[in-house]
Amino acid sequence: MKKIILLSVMFVSTLAVFASANSENSEASSSSASNSWMVESEDGILPGVNPINVKGDIITAGSSTVFPLSEAMAERFQDEGYAGNITVDSIGSGAGFERFTVTGETDISNASRPIKSKEIEAAKKIGRNPIEFRVGTDALAVTVAKSNTFIKDASIDELVKIFTAEKWSDVNPSWPDEKILKFIPGTDSGTFDYFVEEVFDKDSAPLLSAANVQMSEDDNILVQGITESPYGIGFFGYAYYSENKDILNILSIDGVEPIKENVDAAKYPLARPLFIYSDAEVMKSKPQVAAFINFYLTYVNEEVTRVGYFPADESVIAKGKAAWLEAMK
Amino acid sequence: MTKSKREWYVGKPKYHEKIIQTILAVSAVLSVLITFGIVYILGKESLLFFKEVSIVEFFTSTKWQPLINEFGVLPLINSTLTTSFIAMLVAGPLGLFVAIYLSEYASEKARSILKPILEVLAGIPTVVYGYFALTFMTPLLRLIFGKDTVDIYNTASAGLVMGILILPLVASITEDALKAVPSSLREAAFGLGGNKLHTSMTIVVPAAFSGISAAFILGLSRAIGETMIVALAAGAGSNFTFNPFEAAETLTGYIVRISGGDVSYNTMDYNSIFALGLLLFFITLSLNVLSRKLVRKYQEEYD
Amino acid sequence: MINTLFKSATILAIFILFILLVNIINDAFGYVAIENSIEPTIFIESGNLDDLNSDDIIEILEERLSKGLVRRYNSESPLKERSQKELMELLFNRVIEPRVKQSWSLKESIFNKKEILELTTKKYPNAYIDFRAWLNLEFITKPQSSIPEFAGIRTAILGSLMIICITIFFAFPVGVASAIYLEEYAGNNRFTRFVQVNIYNLSGVPSIIFGLLGLAVFVRGMEPFTSGSMFGYGDPATANGRTILAAGLTLAILILPIIIINTQEALRAVPQTLRQAGYGIGGTKWQIIWSHVLPASIERIMTGTILAVSRAIGETAPIVVIGASTFISVDPSNIFSKFTTLPIQIYQWTSRPQAEFRNVAAAAIIVLLLMLLSMNTFAILIRNRIGKNRS
Repeated sequence: MKKIILLSVMFVSTLAVFASANSENSEASSSSASNSWMVESEDGILPGVNPINVKGDIITAGSSTVFPLSEAMAERFQDEGYAGNITVDSIGSGAGFERFTVTGETDISNASRPIKSKEIEAAKKIGRNPIEFRVGTDALAVTVAKSNTFIKDASIDELVKIFTAEKWSDVNPSWPDEKILKFIPGTDSGTFDYFVEEVFDKDSAPLLSAANVQMSEDDNILVQGITESPYGIGFFGYAYYSENKDILNILSIDGVEPIKENVDAAKYPLARPLFIYSDAEVMKSKPQVAAFINFYLTYVNEEVTRVGYFPADESVIAKGKAAWLEAMK
Repeated sequence: MTKSKREWYVGKPKYHEKIIQTILAVSAVLSVLITFGIVYILGKESLLFFKEVSIVEFFTSTKWQPLINEFGVLPLINSTLTTSFIAMLVAGPLGLFVAIYLSEYASEKARSILKPILEVLAGIPTVVYGYFALTFMTPLLRLIFGKDTVDIYNTASAGLVMGILILPLVASITEDALKAVPSSLREAAFGLGGNKLHTSMTIVVPAAFSGISAAFILGLSRAIGETMIVALAAGAGSNFTFNPFEAAETLTGYIVRISGGDVSYNTMDYNSIFALGLLLFFITLSLNVLSRKLVRKYQEEYD
Repeated sequence: MINTLFKSATILAIFILFILLVNIINDAFGYVAIENSIEPTIFIESGNLDDLNSDDIIEILEERLSKGLVRRYNSESPLKERSQKELMELLFNRVIEPRVKQSWSLKESIFNKKEILELTTKKYPNAYIDFRAWLNLEFITKPQSSIPEFAGIRTAILGSLMIICITIFFAFPVGVASAIYLEEYAGNNRFTRFVQVNIYNLSGVPSIIFGLLGLAVFVRGMEPFTSGSMFGYGDPATANGRTILAAGLTLAILILPIIIINTQEALRAVPQTLRQAGYGIGGTKWQIIWSHVLPASIERIMTGTILAVSRAIGETAPIVVIGASTFISVDPSNIFSKFTTLPIQIYQWTSRPQAEFRNVAAAAIIVLLLMLLSMNTFAILIRNRIGKNRS
């Protein structure tokens, strides 16, 4: 008899979990935007946001480059009182757009490249019309390990050679006769797309068929690989370099260093915009999404440098704010 | 319940029994359905893949880069075999020695300590072994052979640690095989003046040969299907190389990397992981079937 | 001597286990160099914050913190009404912000303390040295964070536990039922043998294959069910099947063959005489199984199940394949929630380059191993009870 009890205890404890699983509905309660979160405007353009009064969940996914920035904004949003769930998945720009435009399962898509026309087509099929908000600027960082002493600068042509050649000495005879260990972001990432576009003139084949290429959607794995050998080289968003300044060296490109002045003056050849995308219908039916984007645009320039990117110009941010107001009409 | 047992047993209609039996039978059939499910799903997605890719190219080309339509699975198979082979170099001999010690030499007390330790080794999650490979084995190898020889991600480190992972499995199945050898054989050998070592090596081990092979084959199968260690330590990019100190992605490593980055529906990437899954399924299944056949062989021999 | 070879191989195996554990503990404790984001001397010359009174602190907080943050604190409980101690804590955590600049392993901390001190004074002139246990109570009760010293595993532990409950809920009844059928009902015919062989083969399928099955069937094929949209949970627009339910089902299928095989062995261990005694007083087949066979074998069944479940807890690959969220700081609220698990967090943190994340990964590994160890100890206790009962 005791043993039957044992058996049933096991069973009941399992049931208990089901019972305790609360049946909270995370749906937006209605399509009429509840504006209880609006407070006095911060910037004179957008209504101010009080995160304490924002209810409901927000789902975002996309670029691993934008990830640290969106994560910082989400953390600040929660810090200032937002009590709902906000997920930020770092899966690559392409996969992020997939979730946003095909399955429609995300509210906001993070991207380190502009949306492609075929992605807009796909979005239209599910009744979405992507709106672009620019949130910052990245200076794509080409990095080597601290222990690498022979390369400090590369021209775009040299980058092509470095990322396709087998040995360093094949690119420049004065460099060591050692394998070039290449660490590059996965093919689903906007960073990869951008690099192929800017450096390889849109043809990814030479880069992908090169010897000793390591790919990962996780930029941390790339950083780790590069730091461990003087013959490693790789590229990723600037924030991942900022976070690891003590173990990485960054190359200047065509003699231009990726510092704020050069990025602002558009001198650095590998500077690129960072975006978040959403849709007017989503923003209207889910006020929490509108509130978060509003909050994002209002405070992003206070956080962006700390995260390790460069602020977008005020006029560009203002464009985003105008788009927000347009969408909420 | 005790006093009314008798009453409880009588007067229950028979159809209850039938219903219960049916429920039980359905449960048992479910496992068959799972197998069919695996084959069906992997097969369905793989068909889509092989509509685009010729089987000949798949098995002969030495480049794997789906994005630019290079679909040669050899680099992935090659690194899978490299890591598994290194793992067997560790787990094979060590597992055999441990099994001989446990079955022929160890006292009851030593066994009672050793068996749980092997069980603990077997029970450690593979992701922990992956951590161990990356934070201990790789630095150790780089210390011994030099940082320029050994890449940060390499198949040797993953293989060695995988060997530790499958050691308990090989040891316990080998031990069962050795124990199945009748003691009459041992006694006969002692009677002829053989010492313990001589007896173990010339009588017991050969007699248990099919069981030992079974253990090795099962260990190999487990190594081929192992994922987290290679995902963390072996590297992430297909590389057709025979140098164990270089990075090279395995079958399982590729599957986990692509799906970790969130696969888009109905793309070549999505279909390719199922094609590789099917390949992996057939390789491990045939090894497991072979291993079971060998086990049955020795059971029949001595039962 | 060749036979010492056998012994030394065994000792080597034990030694490896020892190294593995030492390596983990080595990373989970050690010195850290901590630097303040803002030095206290800015606010008070002595650098001793205790000399500040409440009004001073409120003034600093209002000046240094964002408007929204001050608003939140005031809404929780007005700053003016908080004690000096509470305000001091806020000042310390939100303004002074001590951050770990570098961390050392336990071995280095014990043997090279002098070098650590020298290096710190050279590299981080403003930093101070502190001994840190990365595994602490806060670590277990806090959610994930992008800052390693604030990262915790509460979300991961809850995710793991909920998934395991689902796994048991599905795998245990089905597994035991299958085993009862095969052992007690099925005749020795071709069909039974086929099912039996099939179960053995299934138990040897690599776990990542189950992940692929889970991805195709539970995450994508049965999306309305696993996302909860057919029950009116979640938001249909953002429904996807990467939920606790999908993970639990995937792991249930993974451990089903193991549970069946273990339960069959348990049933085989029940002496035939027990069954015959049941028939003797006119019981039907099911009555005998229910009132004699199962009670006699329940401990062994439980032991086998616990071992199978502890394997499921440690599984990583299939969960990665079905798409666990890697960065999620929200506790799962029900079985249709997105989730992360303990092994997933370990995998994530291990692959990060910063040494601090290694420390955090080591701490998480210790928690995972303790969880498994306590489960297995429980299983062994039950096993020992069998010995007592049967003697």
